[in-house]
Amino acid sequence: MHRIFILPLALLALLVLGVLTALFLPLSVEGALRAVTSPEIRFALQLSLVTSLAATAVAVLLGVPSGYVLARRSFPGKAVLDTFLDLPLVMTPLIAGVGLLFLFGRHGLGPPLSRWGIHVLFTPLGAVLAQAFIAAPIVTRSARAAFDSLSPRYEWAGQTLGLRPAQVFLQVTLPMARQGLLSGTVLAWARAVGEFGATLMVAGATRFHTETLPIAVYLNITSGEVETALSAALILMIAGFAMVLLLKAIGDSRPETAAGGPPP
Amino acid sequence: MKASRGILIGPAAILAALLAGLLLSAPTVRAGEVTLLAGAGLRQPTDVLVARFEERTGHRVRTSYDGSGRLLARIRASGEGDLFMPGAFFYIEHLQSDGRVRSVRPVAAHTPVVGVSRERDEAEDIQTFEDLARPGVRIALGDPEAMAFGRTAREILRRAGLEEEVLRNVAVHGGTVKQLALYVARGDVDASIIGRADAFQLRDRIRIVPIPPAWFQSETIAVAVLDSTRQPDVAKRLSAFLASNEALAVFREFGFLPLEG
Repeated sequence: MHRIFILPLALLALLVLGVLTALFLPLSVEGALRAVTSPEIRFALQLSLVTSLAATAVAVLLGVPSGYVLARRSFPGKAVLDTFLDLPLVMTPLIAGVGLLFLFGRHGLGPPLSRWGIHVLFTPLGAVLAQAFIAAPIVTRSARAAFDSLSPRYEWAGQTLGLRPAQVFLQVTLPMARQGLLSGTVLAWARAVGEFGATLMVAGATRFHTETLPIAVYLNITSGEVETALSAALILMIAGFAMVLLLKAIGDSRPETAAGGPPP
Repeated sequence: MKASRGILIGPAAILAALLAGLLLSAPTVRAGEVTLLAGAGLRQPTDVLVARFEERTGHRVRTSYDGSGRLLARIRASGEGDLFMPGAFFYIEHLQSDGRVRSVRPVAAHTPVVGVSRERDEAEDIQTFEDLARPGVRIALGDPEAMAFGRTAREILRRAGLEEEVLRNVAVHGGTVKQLALYVARGDVDASIIGRADAFQLRDRIRIVPIPPAWFQSETIAVAVLDSTRQPDVAKRLSAFLASNEALAVFREFGFLPLEG
Protein backbone atom coordinates (compact mmCIF):
# COMPACT_ATOMS: atom_id res chain seq x y z
CA MET A 1 0.00 0.00 0.00
CA HIS A 2 2.71 2.43 1.03
CA ARG A 3 4.68 1.68 -2.11
CA ILE A 4 2.07 3.33 -4.35
CA PHE A 5 2.45 6.60 -2.47
CA ILE A 6 6.18 6.76 -3.20
CA LEU A 7 5.57 8.06 -6.72
CA PRO A 8 3.64 11.20 -5.65
CA LEU A 9 6.22 11.78 -2.92
CA ALA A 10 9.06 11.49 -5.42
CA LEU A 11 7.24 13.83 -7.85
CA LEU A 12 6.75 16.47 -5.14
CA ALA A 13 10.36 16.24 -3.99
CA LEU A 14 11.61 16.45 -7.59
CA LEU A 15 9.45 19.50 -8.27
CA VAL A 16 10.79 21.38 -5.24
CA LEU A 17 14.34 20.29 -6.08
CA GLY A 18 13.84 21.34 -9.71
CA VAL A 19 12.61 24.81 -8.74
CA LEU A 20 15.50 25.33 -6.31
CA THR A 21 18.06 24.13 -8.87
CA ALA A 22 16.61 26.34 -11.59
CA LEU A 23 16.68 29.33 -9.23
CA PHE A 24 20.12 28.96 -7.76
CA LEU A 25 22.11 27.16 -10.47
CA PRO A 26 22.81 30.40 -12.39
CA LEU A 27 24.14 31.93 -9.18
CA SER A 28 27.95 31.98 -8.92
CA VAL A 29 29.50 31.57 -5.49
CA GLU A 30 31.43 34.84 -5.75
CA GLY A 31 28.34 36.67 -7.00
CA ALA A 32 26.23 35.36 -4.17
CA LEU A 33 28.90 36.22 -1.59
CA ARG A 34 29.28 39.71 -3.03
CA ALA A 35 25.54 40.26 -2.92
CA VAL A 36 25.10 38.81 0.55
CA THR A 37 27.86 41.00 1.98
CA SER A 38 26.66 44.12 0.13
CA PRO A 39 25.45 46.95 2.38
CA GLU A 40 21.97 46.78 0.81
CA ILE A 41 21.37 43.11 1.53
CA ARG A 42 22.96 43.36 4.99
CA PHE A 43 20.62 46.22 5.79
CA ALA A 44 17.63 44.27 4.47
CA LEU A 45 18.59 41.22 6.53
CA GLN A 46 18.90 43.28 9.72
CA LEU A 47 15.63 45.12 9.10
CA SER A 48 13.83 41.87 8.33
CA LEU A 49 15.12 40.29 11.55
CA VAL A 50 14.13 43.27 13.71
CA THR A 51 10.72 43.85 12.15
CA SER A 52 9.74 40.17 12.02
CA LEU A 53 10.74 39.58 15.66
CA ALA A 54 8.81 42.67 16.75
CA ALA A 55 5.80 41.61 14.67
CA THR A 56 5.93 38.10 16.15
CA ALA A 57 6.08 39.54 19.67
CA VAL A 58 2.99 41.67 18.95
CA ALA A 59 1.25 38.65 17.41
CA VAL A 60 2.00 36.51 20.47
CA LEU A 61 0.86 39.20 22.93
CA LEU A 62 -2.44 39.53 21.05
CA GLY A 63 -2.89 35.99 19.81
CA VAL A 64 -2.21 33.84 22.88
CA PRO A 65 -4.79 35.52 25.17
CA SER A 66 -7.28 35.60 22.28
CA GLY A 67 -6.74 31.91 21.63
CA TYR A 68 -7.24 31.18 25.32
CA VAL A 69 -10.57 33.03 25.46
CA LEU A 70 -11.76 31.25 22.31
CA ALA A 71 -10.78 27.86 23.76
CA ARG A 72 -12.21 28.28 27.25
CA ARG A 73 -15.24 30.55 26.95
CA SER A 74 -18.39 30.06 24.98
CA PHE A 75 -20.44 33.11 24.04
CA PRO A 76 -22.97 34.00 21.34
CA GLY A 77 -21.37 34.67 17.96
CA LYS A 78 -18.16 32.84 18.87
CA ALA A 79 -18.02 30.87 15.61
CA VAL A 80 -18.47 34.09 13.63
CA LEU A 81 -15.76 35.88 15.61
CA ASP A 82 -13.41 32.92 15.19
CA THR A 83 -13.86 32.94 11.41
CA PHE A 84 -13.66 36.73 11.31
CA LEU A 85 -10.24 36.69 13.01
CA ASP A 86 -8.97 34.32 10.31
CA LEU A 87 -9.83 36.75 7.50
CA PRO A 88 -6.34 38.33 7.28
CA LEU A 89 -5.06 34.87 6.30
CA VAL A 90 -7.32 34.58 3.25
CA MET A 91 -7.00 38.24 2.21
CA THR A 92 -4.52 38.88 -0.58
CA PRO A 93 -1.65 40.53 1.33
CA LEU A 94 -1.72 43.44 -1.11
CA ILE A 95 -5.37 44.08 -0.16
CA ALA A 96 -4.52 43.81 3.53
CA GLY A 97 -1.85 46.44 2.81
CA VAL A 98 -4.28 48.77 1.05
CA GLY A 99 -6.71 48.35 3.98
CA LEU A 100 -3.99 49.22 6.50
CA LEU A 101 -2.95 52.17 4.30
CA PHE A 102 -6.50 53.52 4.36
CA LEU A 103 -6.95 52.86 8.10
CA PHE A 104 -3.67 54.48 9.13
CA GLY A 105 -3.64 57.13 6.38
CA ARG A 106 -4.67 60.72 6.11
CA HIS A 107 -8.40 60.06 6.50
CA GLY A 108 -8.05 57.46 9.25
CA LEU A 109 -5.88 57.12 12.32
CA GLY A 110 -2.88 58.90 10.75
CA PRO A 111 -3.38 62.45 12.09
CA PRO A 112 -4.29 61.54 15.72
CA LEU A 113 -1.42 59.03 15.94
CA SER A 114 1.11 61.50 14.53
CA ARG A 115 0.10 63.96 17.27
CA TRP A 116 1.45 61.33 19.67
CA GLY A 117 4.61 61.13 17.57
CA ILE A 118 3.66 57.73 16.12
CA HIS A 119 4.22 57.50 12.37
CA VAL A 120 3.02 54.27 10.81
CA LEU A 121 2.94 54.95 7.07
CA PHE A 122 6.21 54.71 5.15
CA THR A 123 8.25 53.73 8.24
CA PRO A 124 9.71 50.45 9.56
CA LEU A 125 6.90 50.57 12.16
CA GLY A 126 4.49 50.19 9.23
CA ALA A 127 6.37 47.05 8.19
CA VAL A 128 5.97 45.66 11.73
CA LEU A 129 2.25 46.44 11.66
CA ALA A 130 1.77 44.78 8.26
CA GLN A 131 3.64 41.66 9.37
CA ALA A 132 1.82 41.49 12.71
CA PHE A 133 -1.55 41.79 10.98
CA ILE A 134 -0.78 38.65 8.98
CA ALA A 135 1.02 36.81 11.81
CA ALA A 136 -1.51 37.35 14.63
CA PRO A 137 -4.24 35.07 13.20
CA ILE A 138 -1.70 32.25 12.91
CA VAL A 139 -0.79 32.57 16.60
CA THR A 140 -4.46 32.88 17.62
CA ARG A 141 -5.40 29.79 15.64
CA SER A 142 -2.58 27.58 16.95
CA ALA A 143 -2.96 28.90 20.51
CA ARG A 144 -6.65 28.04 20.43
CA ALA A 145 -5.85 24.52 19.19
CA ALA A 146 -3.18 24.09 21.88
CA PHE A 147 -5.52 25.21 24.69
CA ASP A 148 -8.40 23.19 23.23
CA SER A 149 -6.40 19.97 23.43
CA LEU A 150 -5.62 20.70 27.09
CA SER A 151 -8.15 19.36 29.54
CA PRO A 152 -9.44 22.14 31.83
CA ARG A 153 -9.23 19.63 34.68
CA TYR A 154 -5.54 20.51 35.13
CA GLU A 155 -6.59 24.10 35.72
CA TRP A 156 -9.29 23.05 38.17
CA ALA A 157 -6.69 20.98 40.02
CA GLY A 158 -4.43 24.04 40.21
CA GLN A 159 -7.27 26.15 41.58
CA THR A 160 -8.18 23.56 44.22
CA LEU A 161 -4.55 23.62 45.34
CA GLY A 162 -4.98 27.33 46.04
CA LEU A 163 -3.45 28.98 42.96
CA ARG A 164 -4.96 32.27 41.80
CA PRO A 165 -6.32 32.35 38.16
CA ALA A 166 -3.28 34.25 36.90
CA GLN A 167 -0.96 31.75 38.59
CA VAL A 168 -2.92 28.87 37.08
CA PHE A 169 -2.50 30.35 33.60
CA LEU A 170 1.20 31.09 33.99
CA GLN A 171 2.24 27.99 35.97
CA VAL A 172 -0.10 25.30 34.65
CA THR A 173 -1.72 26.22 31.33
CA LEU A 174 1.16 27.97 29.54
CA PRO A 175 3.81 25.32 30.30
CA MET A 176 1.47 22.51 29.27
CA ALA A 177 0.52 24.21 25.97
CA ARG A 178 4.15 25.13 25.33
CA GLN A 179 4.70 22.89 22.29
CA GLY A 180 1.65 24.08 20.39
CA LEU A 181 2.31 27.72 21.24
CA LEU A 182 5.96 27.49 20.19
CA SER A 183 5.22 25.87 16.86
CA GLY A 184 2.51 28.46 16.15
CA THR A 185 4.97 31.22 17.00
CA VAL A 186 7.62 29.82 14.67
CA LEU A 187 5.07 29.53 11.86
CA ALA A 188 3.94 33.12 12.46
CA TRP A 189 7.54 34.30 12.45
CA ALA A 190 8.20 32.50 9.15
CA ARG A 191 5.17 34.21 7.65
CA ALA A 192 6.29 37.61 9.01
CA VAL A 193 9.80 37.26 7.54
CA GLY A 194 8.39 36.46 4.09
CA GLU A 195 5.59 39.08 4.18
CA PHE A 196 5.70 41.29 1.10
CA GLY A 197 2.42 42.62 -0.29
CA ALA A 198 1.13 44.39 2.80
CA THR A 199 4.58 45.76 3.66
CA LEU A 200 4.96 47.21 0.15
CA MET A 201 1.77 49.28 0.49
CA VAL A 202 2.10 50.40 4.12
CA ALA A 203 5.87 50.92 4.44
CA GLY A 204 6.75 51.54 0.77
CA ALA A 205 9.89 50.35 -0.99
CA THR A 206 12.49 52.90 0.11
CA ARG A 207 16.00 51.48 -0.12
CA PHE A 208 17.89 51.56 3.19
CA HIS A 209 14.76 52.63 5.07
CA THR A 210 11.87 50.20 4.65
CA GLU A 211 13.74 47.64 2.55
CA THR A 212 13.05 44.25 4.13
CA LEU A 213 14.45 41.12 2.44
CA PRO A 214 11.28 40.46 0.36
CA ILE A 215 11.22 44.15 -0.69
CA ALA A 216 14.91 43.86 -1.66
CA VAL A 217 14.07 40.80 -3.79
CA TYR A 218 11.27 42.77 -5.48
CA LEU A 219 13.32 45.92 -6.15
CA ASN A 220 16.28 43.98 -7.50
CA ILE A 221 14.21 41.70 -9.74
CA THR A 222 12.48 44.77 -11.16
CA SER A 223 15.72 46.58 -11.84
CA GLY A 224 17.32 43.52 -13.43
CA GLU A 225 19.79 42.85 -10.58
CA VAL A 226 18.87 39.18 -10.70
CA GLU A 227 21.98 37.97 -8.87
CA THR A 228 21.35 40.27 -5.90
CA ALA A 229 17.66 39.32 -5.87
CA LEU A 230 18.43 35.59 -5.95
CA SER A 231 20.99 35.96 -3.18
CA ALA A 232 18.45 37.75 -1.00
CA ALA A 233 15.94 35.02 -1.85
CA LEU A 234 18.54 32.41 -0.90
CA ILE A 235 18.93 33.96 2.55
CA LEU A 236 15.14 34.07 2.90
CA MET A 237 14.88 30.44 1.94
CA ILE A 238 17.67 29.29 4.26
CA ALA A 239 15.95 31.20 7.07
CA GLY A 240 12.64 29.59 6.11
CA PHE A 241 14.22 26.13 5.97
CA ALA A 242 15.81 26.61 9.39
CA MET A 243 12.48 27.76 10.81
CA VAL A 244 10.57 24.81 9.39
CA LEU A 245 13.24 22.44 10.75
CA LEU A 246 12.88 24.10 14.15
CA LEU A 247 9.13 23.65 13.85
CA LYS A 248 9.55 19.95 13.07
CA ALA A 249 11.95 19.54 15.99
CA ILE A 250 9.42 21.12 18.33
CA GLY A 251 6.69 18.88 16.96
CA ASP A 252 8.80 15.72 17.32
CA SER A 253 9.88 16.50 20.88
CA ARG A 254 6.20 16.50 21.94
CA PRO A 255 6.06 14.23 25.00
CA GLU A 256 4.38 10.85 24.64
CA THR A 257 1.74 11.65 27.25
CA ALA A 258 -0.74 13.57 25.13
CA ALA A 259 -1.68 16.94 26.59
CA GLY A 260 -5.35 15.99 26.61
CA GLY A 261 -4.81 12.86 28.66
CA PRO A 262 -6.31 12.08 32.06
CA PRO A 263 -5.20 14.21 35.00
CA PRO A 264 -2.66 12.66 37.36
CA MET B 1 -12.12 -6.43 -2.78
CA LYS B 2 -11.97 -3.31 -0.69
CA ALA B 3 -8.17 -3.40 -0.61
CA SER B 4 -7.84 -3.71 -4.38
CA ARG B 5 -10.10 -0.73 -4.88
CA GLY B 6 -7.91 1.27 -2.48
CA ILE B 7 -4.85 0.38 -4.51
CA LEU B 8 -6.45 1.80 -7.64
CA ILE B 9 -7.09 5.24 -6.14
CA GLY B 10 -3.43 6.30 -6.27
CA PRO B 11 -2.78 5.65 -9.98
CA ALA B 12 -6.25 6.98 -10.85
CA ALA B 13 -5.50 10.26 -9.09
CA ILE B 14 -2.17 10.58 -10.88
CA LEU B 15 -3.83 9.87 -14.22
CA ALA B 16 -6.49 12.47 -13.48
CA ALA B 17 -3.83 15.03 -12.58
CA LEU B 18 -1.92 14.33 -15.80
CA LEU B 19 -5.11 14.63 -17.85
CA ALA B 20 -6.01 17.91 -16.16
CA GLY B 21 -2.51 19.19 -16.88
CA LEU B 22 -2.84 18.29 -20.56
CA LEU B 23 -6.24 19.97 -20.83
CA LEU B 24 -5.00 23.13 -19.12
CA SER B 25 -1.91 23.42 -21.29
CA ALA B 26 -3.77 22.80 -24.54
CA PRO B 27 -5.29 26.30 -25.08
CA THR B 28 -1.85 27.93 -25.38
CA VAL B 29 -1.40 26.43 -28.84
CA ARG B 30 -4.84 27.43 -30.14
CA ALA B 31 -4.69 29.18 -33.53
CA GLY B 32 -5.16 32.94 -33.77
CA GLU B 33 -4.20 33.70 -30.16
CA VAL B 34 -1.40 36.05 -29.13
CA THR B 35 0.00 37.19 -25.79
CA LEU B 36 0.52 40.92 -25.20
CA LEU B 37 2.74 41.85 -22.24
CA ALA B 38 2.04 45.49 -21.39
CA GLY B 39 3.19 47.98 -18.74
CA ALA B 40 0.74 48.22 -15.83
CA GLY B 41 0.32 51.96 -16.43
CA LEU B 42 -1.03 51.33 -19.96
CA ARG B 43 -3.85 49.07 -18.86
CA GLN B 44 -6.90 51.32 -19.40
CA PRO B 45 -6.40 52.23 -23.10
CA THR B 46 -4.94 48.79 -23.87
CA ASP B 47 -8.02 47.00 -22.53
CA VAL B 48 -10.28 49.09 -24.78
CA LEU B 49 -8.09 48.55 -27.85
CA VAL B 50 -7.65 44.82 -27.33
CA ALA B 51 -11.43 44.38 -27.03
CA ARG B 52 -11.92 46.24 -30.33
CA PHE B 53 -9.23 44.17 -32.05
CA GLU B 54 -10.76 40.90 -30.86
CA GLU B 55 -14.22 41.95 -31.98
CA ARG B 56 -13.06 42.96 -35.46
CA THR B 57 -10.62 40.17 -36.26
CA GLY B 58 -11.93 37.21 -34.25
CA HIS B 59 -8.44 36.57 -32.89
CA ARG B 60 -7.91 36.24 -29.17
CA VAL B 61 -5.43 38.38 -27.25
CA ARG B 62 -4.20 37.39 -23.80
CA THR B 63 -3.01 40.49 -21.98
CA SER B 64 -0.66 40.46 -19.02
CA TYR B 65 0.03 43.70 -17.12
CA ASP B 66 2.93 44.29 -14.75
CA GLY B 67 5.82 46.68 -14.13
CA SER B 68 7.84 46.93 -17.36
CA GLY B 69 11.03 45.76 -15.63
CA ARG B 70 9.34 42.63 -14.32
CA LEU B 71 7.82 41.92 -17.74
CA LEU B 72 11.26 42.25 -19.31
CA ALA B 73 12.67 39.80 -16.78
CA ARG B 74 9.81 37.40 -17.59
CA ILE B 75 10.36 37.58 -21.36
CA ARG B 76 14.08 37.00 -20.92
CA ALA B 77 13.68 34.10 -18.52
CA SER B 78 10.90 32.31 -20.41
CA GLY B 79 12.00 32.99 -23.99
CA GLU B 80 8.29 33.29 -24.81
CA GLY B 81 5.68 35.93 -25.66
CA ASP B 82 4.30 37.52 -28.83
CA LEU B 83 4.15 41.27 -28.20
CA PHE B 84 5.70 43.60 -25.61
CA MET B 85 4.49 47.16 -24.91
CA PRO B 86 6.42 48.64 -21.95
CA GLY B 87 6.05 52.12 -20.44
CA ALA B 88 9.45 53.25 -21.74
CA PHE B 89 11.50 52.51 -24.85
CA PHE B 90 14.53 51.61 -22.75
CA TYR B 91 13.06 48.15 -22.02
CA ILE B 92 12.64 47.36 -25.73
CA GLU B 93 16.26 48.43 -26.33
CA HIS B 94 17.33 45.74 -23.87
CA LEU B 95 15.49 43.07 -25.88
CA GLN B 96 16.83 44.50 -29.15
CA SER B 97 20.39 44.02 -27.93
CA ASP B 98 19.46 40.41 -27.11
CA GLY B 99 18.23 40.03 -30.72
CA ARG B 100 14.72 39.19 -29.52
CA VAL B 101 12.78 41.88 -31.44
CA ARG B 102 11.27 41.39 -34.91
CA SER B 103 9.78 44.85 -35.40
CA VAL B 104 8.90 47.96 -33.37
CA ARG B 105 6.20 50.62 -33.84
CA PRO B 106 5.80 53.81 -31.78
CA VAL B 107 2.44 54.25 -30.00
CA ALA B 108 2.26 57.37 -27.79
CA ALA B 109 4.22 59.51 -25.34
CA HIS B 110 4.45 58.82 -21.63
CA THR B 111 4.94 62.29 -20.18
CA PRO B 112 6.05 62.90 -16.59
CA VAL B 113 4.18 65.57 -14.60
CA VAL B 114 3.99 66.63 -10.98
CA GLY B 115 0.81 65.14 -9.54
CA VAL B 116 -0.37 67.23 -6.57
CA SER B 117 -2.90 65.94 -4.05
CA ARG B 118 -6.22 67.78 -3.88
CA GLU B 119 -6.84 66.08 -0.54
CA ARG B 120 -4.26 68.06 1.43
CA ASP B 121 -4.51 71.74 2.33
CA GLU B 122 -0.74 71.84 2.68
CA ALA B 123 -0.42 70.91 -0.99
CA GLU B 124 -2.41 73.92 -2.17
CA ASP B 125 0.62 76.16 -2.54
CA ILE B 126 2.47 73.73 -4.80
CA GLN B 127 2.08 75.66 -8.05
CA THR B 128 5.40 75.11 -9.83
CA PHE B 129 7.95 72.33 -10.05
CA GLU B 130 10.36 74.33 -7.87
CA ASP B 131 7.82 74.26 -5.00
CA LEU B 132 8.71 70.59 -4.48
CA ALA B 133 11.99 71.78 -3.00
CA ARG B 134 10.34 73.83 -0.21
CA PRO B 135 11.03 72.47 3.28
CA GLY B 136 8.22 70.35 4.76
CA VAL B 137 6.68 69.16 1.49
CA ARG B 138 5.97 65.40 1.56
CA ILE B 139 6.90 63.64 -1.69
CA ALA B 140 6.63 60.10 -3.05
CA LEU B 141 9.08 59.07 -5.79
CA GLY B 142 9.60 55.90 -7.81
CA ASP B 143 12.59 53.72 -7.06
CA PRO B 144 15.22 54.99 -9.54
CA GLU B 145 16.24 51.51 -10.66
CA ALA B 146 12.99 49.60 -10.45
CA MET B 147 10.59 51.77 -12.48
CA ALA B 148 10.66 53.97 -15.56
CA PHE B 149 9.34 57.14 -13.89
CA GLY B 150 11.71 56.65 -10.97
CA ARG B 151 14.63 56.93 -13.37
CA THR B 152 13.01 59.86 -15.19
CA ALA B 153 12.33 61.69 -11.91
CA ARG B 154 16.00 61.55 -10.86
CA GLU B 155 17.04 62.82 -14.29
CA ILE B 156 14.60 65.75 -14.03
CA LEU B 157 15.82 66.64 -10.54
CA ARG B 158 19.43 66.56 -11.72
CA ARG B 159 18.72 68.84 -14.68
CA ALA B 160 16.70 71.19 -12.48
CA GLY B 161 19.56 71.29 -9.97
CA LEU B 162 17.11 70.50 -7.15
CA GLU B 163 18.19 66.92 -6.42
CA GLU B 164 19.37 67.51 -2.86
CA GLU B 165 16.43 69.66 -1.72
CA VAL B 166 13.71 67.47 -3.23
CA LEU B 167 15.24 64.15 -2.14
CA ARG B 168 15.28 65.51 1.42
CA ASN B 169 11.47 65.79 1.15
CA VAL B 170 10.90 62.23 -0.05
CA ALA B 171 8.72 60.36 2.45
CA VAL B 172 8.46 57.11 0.52
CA HIS B 173 9.64 55.29 -2.59
CA GLY B 174 7.27 53.11 -4.61
CA GLY B 175 7.69 50.23 -7.03
CA THR B 176 5.04 51.12 -9.60
CA VAL B 177 3.57 54.41 -10.80
CA LYS B 178 0.07 53.30 -9.74
CA GLN B 179 1.29 52.89 -6.14
CA LEU B 180 2.60 56.48 -6.20
CA ALA B 181 -0.67 57.75 -7.71
CA LEU B 182 -2.61 56.00 -4.91
CA TYR B 183 -0.53 57.74 -2.21
CA VAL B 184 -1.17 61.14 -3.86
CA ALA B 185 -4.87 60.46 -4.43
CA ARG B 186 -5.34 59.47 -0.76
CA GLY B 187 -3.44 62.54 0.44
CA ASP B 188 -0.79 60.48 2.22
CA VAL B 189 1.81 62.60 0.42
CA ASP B 190 1.59 66.11 -1.09
CA ALA B 191 2.96 65.28 -4.51
CA SER B 192 4.82 62.85 -6.72
CA ILE B 193 6.38 62.69 -10.18
CA ILE B 194 4.05 60.39 -12.12
CA GLY B 195 2.71 59.92 -15.64
CA ARG B 196 0.38 62.55 -17.07
CA ALA B 197 -2.10 59.75 -17.81
CA ASP B 198 -2.01 58.46 -14.20
CA ALA B 199 -2.76 61.94 -12.86
CA PHE B 200 -5.40 62.58 -15.54
CA GLN B 201 -7.29 59.37 -14.74
CA LEU B 202 -7.58 60.50 -11.09
CA ARG B 203 -8.16 64.16 -11.93
CA ASP B 204 -10.79 64.80 -9.25
CA ARG B 205 -8.14 63.94 -6.65
CA ILE B 206 -4.88 64.82 -8.38
CA ARG B 207 -3.97 68.23 -9.83
CA ILE B 208 -1.40 68.36 -12.65
CA VAL B 209 1.55 70.75 -12.44
CA PRO B 210 3.58 70.61 -15.68
CA ILE B 211 7.35 70.17 -15.59
CA PRO B 212 9.38 72.70 -17.64
CA PRO B 213 10.13 70.98 -20.99
CA ALA B 214 13.85 71.74 -20.79
CA TRP B 215 14.21 69.30 -17.90
CA PHE B 216 12.79 66.14 -19.40
CA GLN B 217 12.15 64.06 -22.48
CA SER B 218 8.91 62.11 -22.67
CA GLU B 219 9.28 58.36 -22.62
CA THR B 220 8.25 56.65 -25.85
CA ILE B 221 5.59 53.98 -25.57
CA ALA B 222 6.17 51.48 -28.38
CA VAL B 223 5.01 47.99 -29.21
CA ALA B 224 7.50 45.30 -30.21
CA VAL B 225 6.78 42.00 -31.97
CA LEU B 226 9.03 39.41 -30.35
CA ASP B 227 11.02 36.78 -32.23
CA SER B 228 9.41 34.14 -30.03
CA THR B 229 5.94 34.74 -31.52
CA ARG B 230 4.16 31.68 -32.86
CA GLN B 231 1.58 33.83 -34.67
CA PRO B 232 3.66 36.39 -36.59
CA ASP B 233 0.79 37.55 -38.79
CA VAL B 234 -1.67 38.13 -35.94
CA ALA B 235 1.06 39.77 -33.85
CA LYS B 236 1.96 42.09 -36.73
CA ARG B 237 -1.69 43.02 -37.23
CA LEU B 238 -2.17 43.82 -33.56
CA SER B 239 1.00 45.91 -33.43
CA ALA B 240 -0.13 47.88 -36.50
CA PHE B 241 -3.50 48.48 -34.83
CA LEU B 242 -1.90 49.64 -31.56
CA ALA B 243 0.24 52.10 -33.54
CA SER B 244 -2.72 53.45 -35.58
CA ASN B 245 -4.34 56.88 -35.30
CA GLU B 246 -7.46 55.22 -33.93
CA ALA B 247 -5.40 53.74 -31.08
CA LEU B 248 -3.74 57.10 -30.43
CA ALA B 249 -7.18 58.69 -30.04
CA VAL B 250 -8.00 56.12 -27.32
CA PHE B 251 -4.66 56.72 -25.61
CA ARG B 252 -5.41 60.48 -25.64
CA GLU B 253 -8.80 59.88 -24.01
CA PHE B 254 -6.91 58.43 -21.05
CA GLY B 255 -4.52 61.37 -20.78
CA PHE B 256 -1.58 60.23 -22.88
CA LEU B 257 -0.05 62.67 -25.41
CA PRO B 258 1.03 61.99 -29.01
CA LEU B 259 4.74 61.62 -29.76
CA GLU B 260 6.32 64.78 -31.12
CA GLY B 261 7.57 65.02 -34.69
